Amino acid sequence: MDEADRAALIRIADGELAALEELYDRYKTMAYSIAYRITNDATLAEDVVQDAFLGAWRNAARYVAGRGSVKTWLLSIVHHRAIDAVRRRRPTTELPEVETAMPAALTLPDVWAEVSASLDAETVRSALETLSDVQREALELAYFGGLTQGEIAERTGAPLGTVKSRMRLGLLSMRRTLEMGST
Amino acid sequence: MSGLDSVRELTCDEVREMAGAFVLGALDIQDEAAIRAHLETCADPHAEMAELGGVVAAFAETVPMVEPPERLKGRIMAAAAADLETRSEATADAEGVPTTPLAFPSAAERAARRPRPSTGTWILRIAAVLAIALLGGWNLLLQNDLSVARSYEQNVAAVLDAAAQPGSLTAILTADGGTGSGLAAVDAEGNVTMAMRNLAPTSGTAVYEAWVIGGDGVPVPLGGFQVGQGGTASFRASGLPSSSGIVLALTLEPGPGATTPTLPIISKGVASAAG
Repeated sequence: MDEADRAALIRIADGELAALEELYDRYKTMAYSIAYRITNDATLAEDVVQDAFLGAWRNAARYVAGRGSVKTWLLSIVHHRAIDAVRRRRPTTELPEVETAMPAALTLPDVWAEVSASLDAETVRSALETLSDVQREALELAYFGGLTQGEIAERTGAPLGTVKSRMRLGLLSMRRTLEMGST
Repeated sequence: MSGLDSVRELTCDEVREMAGAFVLGALDIQDEAAIRAHLETCADPHAEMAELGGVVAAFAETVPMVEPPERLKGRIMAAAAADLETRSEATADAEGVPTTPLAFPSAAERAARRPRPSTGTWILRIAAVLAIALLGGWNLLLQNDLSVARSYEQNVAAVLDAAAQPGSLTAILTADGGTGSGLAAVDAEGNVTMAMRNLAPTSGTAVYEAWVIGGDGVPVPLGGFQVGQGGTASFRASGLPSSSGIVLALTLEPGPGATTPTLPIISKGVASAAG
């Protein structure tokens, strides 16, 4: 699938609308589901998905194949746009004045590609269940709630340093669980 | 203040401590800028970023699936088409050459022979030339289809009249996902006059729907029309934004009253100042 995605992305970089349509048809449900889960607003979710696919349309040439799958790249754009949209609804949150490039760290390293390709909802949910309640809470508030680490500290009453640790250790623990499950 | 004016320096340990929040997008703008600045210059590759970043992508798998509304695809494709059109225009402008060869100058003069206000400028003359070149009037004449040729000539003349008004915009519509091409003018009051040729004839309840796409990328329906065997059509509508850069587009719809475009776009063009 990723080979087909990459071929589509090359065609998108060449300005081929049919390739964008192809990519949209393949990932529309997942993209919209992420946007809807985060924004909890059907209209806003539509705007987020439109914004994300247009971002992919305009920046297809910047995708770096060696760093991970097109699916991950695309869905991380959706996630970031959805978080931005949620934060715009919170007037106290400062947003960047200009859009910054996607962090390279959000794309998958090759070593992880095989694991991620075999992931499904049940596997990931099981891995989440292995975390402590406070680790899982911190990760979910960040990923689905769009909260910053400071806001999570405020919400949960935990010191900022503790929240940082919960997020880092929670992700590490999930990775190990998922890697073990794939072998 | 953007928050980027005072990027603080971080140690590698501080970056590692915030790696989880960074890949989750859970940093405020100052901390995120500080980490980006550190990663750009640090000799340490900070492998923890890639290590944790991959896991974040897995969260997407846990989301309950919800189907997007059908109209969303039309919105995205129309916005991408408009973006593509804008890119093409920008490229042409940057190169400083006309997008279409200016052939048959004497024919242009004849095409624009109807009395017009004296505000006609070079762009109008170019529009007339393009009308001849793109609408293929001479081809129609050669096909001995005089009634079709006259019909299109009248339609083009109406567009040129509108284009000659102060503050008007003109757009050359070229075939995209179909065969139609033509010319349109939008006057300062937001009234559009469009002349099209070489459209496939409609049948049954099918109509060609005209759309305007503004800066927000959302296509707004202007109304529909049917096309006979001759393939030519004229169309008028009002209430358009009279701002340079709007995109005019045509789609073929199964019936009148479409609220979202059915792809592919048959023909489209960007409106720009007539001079």
